[in-house]
Amino acid sequence: MAQGKNPDTKLSHTAAMILQALDAGFVYGFSIMEMTGLPSGTVYPAMRRLERDDLIRSQWEKQSIADAEQRPPRKYYKLTAAGRTTLESSRKRYPLLERLIPTDEERTV
Amino acid sequence: MKNTGNLLARALNLGLLAGAWLVVPGGERTEWWREWRAELWQGRREHECDGRVSWASERTLINFCLGAYQDALCLRRLNRRVRSAHRVRFGAAWQCITVLAVLLAASYTLMHVLPGVRAKRSLSQVATRSGLVLIKSVNNEDSLPTISSGQYRAWKNRKQEFFDGLAFYRITKENVSWQHYDSSRDRAGWGVARASSNFFTLLGFPVQFKDSASSSDADIPSLVLSERAWRREFGANPDIVGSQMMLGSLVARIVGVLPEGTLGLPGNVDAWLLESDSKAIPVGAGYVVAHLTDSGRSRMQSGSIQITSYAPYRSPDDLLGTSIQREFPSSRTVFLFAVMLALLALPAITSVSLAEYSVSLHEISWVRRVYRWSFLAAKIVLVLPIVYFGAIDVGYGFTGLDTIHAMYTQLALSVFGCLFGLSWALTDQLRRCPVCLERVAHPARVGQYSRTFLAWSGTEMMCTGGHTLLHVPALPTSWFSTQRWMFLDPSWKFLFADQVQD
Repeated sequence: MAQGKNPDTKLSHTAAMILQALDAGFVYGFSIMEMTGLPSGTVYPAMRRLERDDLIRSQWEKQSIADAEQRPPRKYYKLTAAGRTTLESSRKRYPLLERLIPTDEERTV
Repeated sequence: MKNTGNLLARALNLGLLAGAWLVVPGGERTEWWREWRAELWQGRREHECDGRVSWASERTLINFCLGAYQDALCLRRLNRRVRSAHRVRFGAAWQCITVLAVLLAASYTLMHVLPGVRAKRSLSQVATRSGLVLIKSVNNEDSLPTISSGQYRAWKNRKQEFFDGLAFYRITKENVSWQHYDSSRDRAGWGVARASSNFFTLLGFPVQFKDSASSSDADIPSLVLSERAWRREFGANPDIVGSQMMLGSLVARIVGVLPEGTLGLPGNVDAWLLESDSKAIPVGAGYVVAHLTDSGRSRMQSGSIQITSYAPYRSPDDLLGTSIQREFPSSRTVFLFAVMLALLALPAITSVSLAEYSVSLHEISWVRRVYRWSFLAAKIVLVLPIVYFGAIDVGYGFTGLDTIHAMYTQLALSVFGCLFGLSWALTDQLRRCPVCLERVAHPARVGQYSRTFLAWSGTEMMCTGGHTLLHVPALPTSWFSTQRWMFLDPSWKFLFADQVQD
């Protein structure tokens, strides 16, 4: 049984960037890599650890959606409530995080 | 050309991913392959422009594929960590069975490898013929040699009613010498049984003497060493067979070794010298061994037969033929006897009762019960052959003892091995969680000895899987005589991060 991470837990900068990218709407592994500039070999293991710590959750999209777009189904990642809380505390720790990867709301402002 | 380049790039990407796929731990390959392929497909589509992908984008995709190797290695590391975390959880049932199985395989293999044990197994197939008796005077209680060589010759030349074969031997002390040894310094010398040439044939040993190397060797009498002398003087060297040695002034050729205890014949014999009857049945008293006919066997009573020997111009001799059948128990019989002794002694050293009481009303499913009892049975089934093979390995393989002493060694080791092996199997069972069969851990003293009769005092142990608590009383009382299990309900789960899956 995985244990939820304490929201006050300090994340590495890499993990914080991934959480920020997910919050910004980049929900696929490849798009996170492109947005953060982190290599594949860093992003996926980090996401796996975040998932293990219940900060993010992954899910395969429905086959029907992929079929409609004539592409293979993708696995997308979402922030959990604990992940969102952790991200909030990480933003205080890394103030430039939001500027590096602005969320949709910030982009539209 | 454009298409060809595109295809090659795709093939390269897929090839790289396939390599990484092989590195991923088995159970997770499908999942990761799907994700990588979907992301690669997406990445290629996003970077494609008019069906072409720029070199810079191609590099991004290749980097993605190479990154998959890091993913795979990371997964492998994580998996290893999880596995080792499970491994350090000590006392799992499968670990116990694996260790026992390895011990069993090792002891069984040793039995087939150690020369002493192999020799014992081949010797165990040797057995004397049935219906053999040693003939002596009726009043000869001490088994002294009483039959003269003349009497033997006379009997042999006459048709016998009760016997169809006779052999003679007489024990003399001889100084022996061979290439690297001269026993003339040894005052006692060897006890050499000078026997008629049909001696071993009569006993029923399928002895095939090696042909003489030359015609000059044909006249050299054969010498069969006792196992004791062979070990003592030659260090159990099998190459000694075929060599020559001197018995006093007589040259003899060693043709074999007789297993200790095979013959139940009187006399302290180091070697058997086989001589033709015509040549040298020595003068003096000796022993006669005879093989009974059917008529003779029917006259046997309590392992002996009364014989009267008639000779011209002499009063009849009253003789007694006693059976020389001396069968040593097989290793299996010795072991079964040891098991019986161990079972009798077991209650003296451990509690054989597995009766336990549960504090709660929790009932274990019958599947768990069967699993639990099967585990106990498996331990016992593995422990017994380990002791059997181990005792044989030590008794016959390592000690270099003769057959009789090795047999006693095997018996002693088997008794102690079975006793402590069975005791361990039972005590180990008492300390295993009834749900997951892992050994309970983290013993904690609870209560005070001085309050044993007023309140509870004893030791508490915990199943690391979070299923049970075990209460063991410090002093069994009428109201708390044996250990008790307390089954933990789900409210305890938060204490146990790494739950063992039921």
